[in-house]
Amino acid sequence: MSAEEKALVDRCRAGDDDSWRELVDCFGQKVYSVAYHFTLNREDAEELSQEIFLKTFENLHRYDGSFPLVAWLLSLARNLCIDRYRRRKREKSFRFVSDEAVLPMLKSDDDPAADALKKERTKLLFWALAEIPEDLAEILVLRDLDGLAYGEIGKALDLPDGTVKSRLFRARAEVARRIRERHERRGSAGAFQTLALAAGGVL
Amino acid sequence: MSCGEIERLFIAGASPEEARRHALECATCRSLGKDVDTAEAMVAGLVAPALPVSLRAALLEIPRNTVSCEGAERLLPAAMENEISDDEQRRLANHLSRCAACSEAAATLEAMRDLTQPIPPPWLAARLAANRPVREKSFWRLLLAPKAAIALAYAAAVVVMLAGFNPADLARRVSASQLGENTRAAVTVAESSLTDRIGAIQEKIVRSIQVWKGRAGGYGRAALSNAVSLIWKSSGPKERPAERPRNRDGGGAFRERDTTITTWRA
Repeated sequence: MSAEEKALVDRCRAGDDDSWRELVDCFGQKVYSVAYHFTLNREDAEELSQEIFLKTFENLHRYDGSFPLVAWLLSLARNLCIDRYRRRKREKSFRFVSDEAVLPMLKSDDDPAADALKKERTKLLFWALAEIPEDLAEILVLRDLDGLAYGEIGKALDLPDGTVKSRLFRARAEVARRIRERHERRGSAGAFQTLALAAGGVL
Repeated sequence: MSCGEIERLFIAGASPEEARRHALECATCRSLGKDVDTAEAMVAGLVAPALPVSLRAALLEIPRNTVSCEGAERLLPAAMENEISDDEQRRLANHLSRCAACSEAAATLEAMRDLTQPIPPPWLAARLAANRPVREKSFWRLLLAPKAAIALAYAAAVVVMLAGFNPADLARRVSASQLGENTRAAVTVAESSLTDRIGAIQEKIVRSIQVWKGRAGGYGRAALSNAVSLIWKSSGPKERPAERPRNRDGGGAFRERDTTITTWRA
């Protein structure tokens, strides 16, 4: 797989437009998804995606095919994403997640009540992600939101698989704990169970 | 506080049944496992935001708007000679505006052109002169040296003058009468000079003789006077000369009587 990806990269380096189109079609969606999850804003995500692909194009000669291309792309993208994430975190409205921000991530059902519940749940999820440490949050985003394999995340972040799994476990536990504590503070302990039931995550 | 087993099972990739079995025995792990499953389930229903068409088009245009670092490396030398097209120039400029490393390389190459000649330090000339190797001077170089040339010119002038070839007098000496007259004048001058010299020597000799005569007479008279004095003194009694006063009272400090009294009192 990496040999094919290396060949694709070499063709891109040689100036083959079709190969570059293939690369964009293979990884554009993934990169945009990651960028969106870190920024929660369409304009910022587009700008960040362009920045990531520009950096990819300028550094194609550095790819040696030793690990998956998507992991290499993410390793280039990581600093840019983290920079944006920290910049957003410094803003006062960082923990406020709007309806527009979560809508692109929701599948619309015919049931408006179920849609409203999913929207609230997603907003709550991103609020909790903003509350936990960023090294845990980024693992949760890459694994659960963007669907990357442990090995790809490990290569991208230069971490062993065990560390990735451990952080993912703690990230999930922290997110759930923050949500539960928030509901307990507001005296609506039943809401968490409602959300949990809606998500189907009961042991 | 969890016993940590539920996390170990998760990292080890255990099946959900194993985790559930442990959760039935451990209350804390049951609570923790429920949280983790809930968070995972909250995320599970989300979909990835769709890639905008405009963004895809922009991504496809990237190779036409910029160059890679290795592309910039190839273009930079040609760009310095203005041998690249406008399109390449635009793409290179776009890349340099984004890439700090390539921009630094380009700026360094460009700055080489603006370097001026360095100003030598003030001590350099003296040091170079001191370290200059000594060259053996040839005969002609010595001969043509300024000081040697001046000395030679003077020597030549002296030789010419001694030989009678004074250019200033040469015209006057052309006629024989003038030459004879000059000879006579020279002889006259030489005679008078010789006479004066001899007269001077005679005068000096006479003066020396007179001096020696005077000295001889003086010594003779002195010897005669001493002889008469010796004869005269040996015939009469000796008289002690009066002692010269030695103190301030003018009467003489050391009289014979004072000395005696002092001796008696002691």
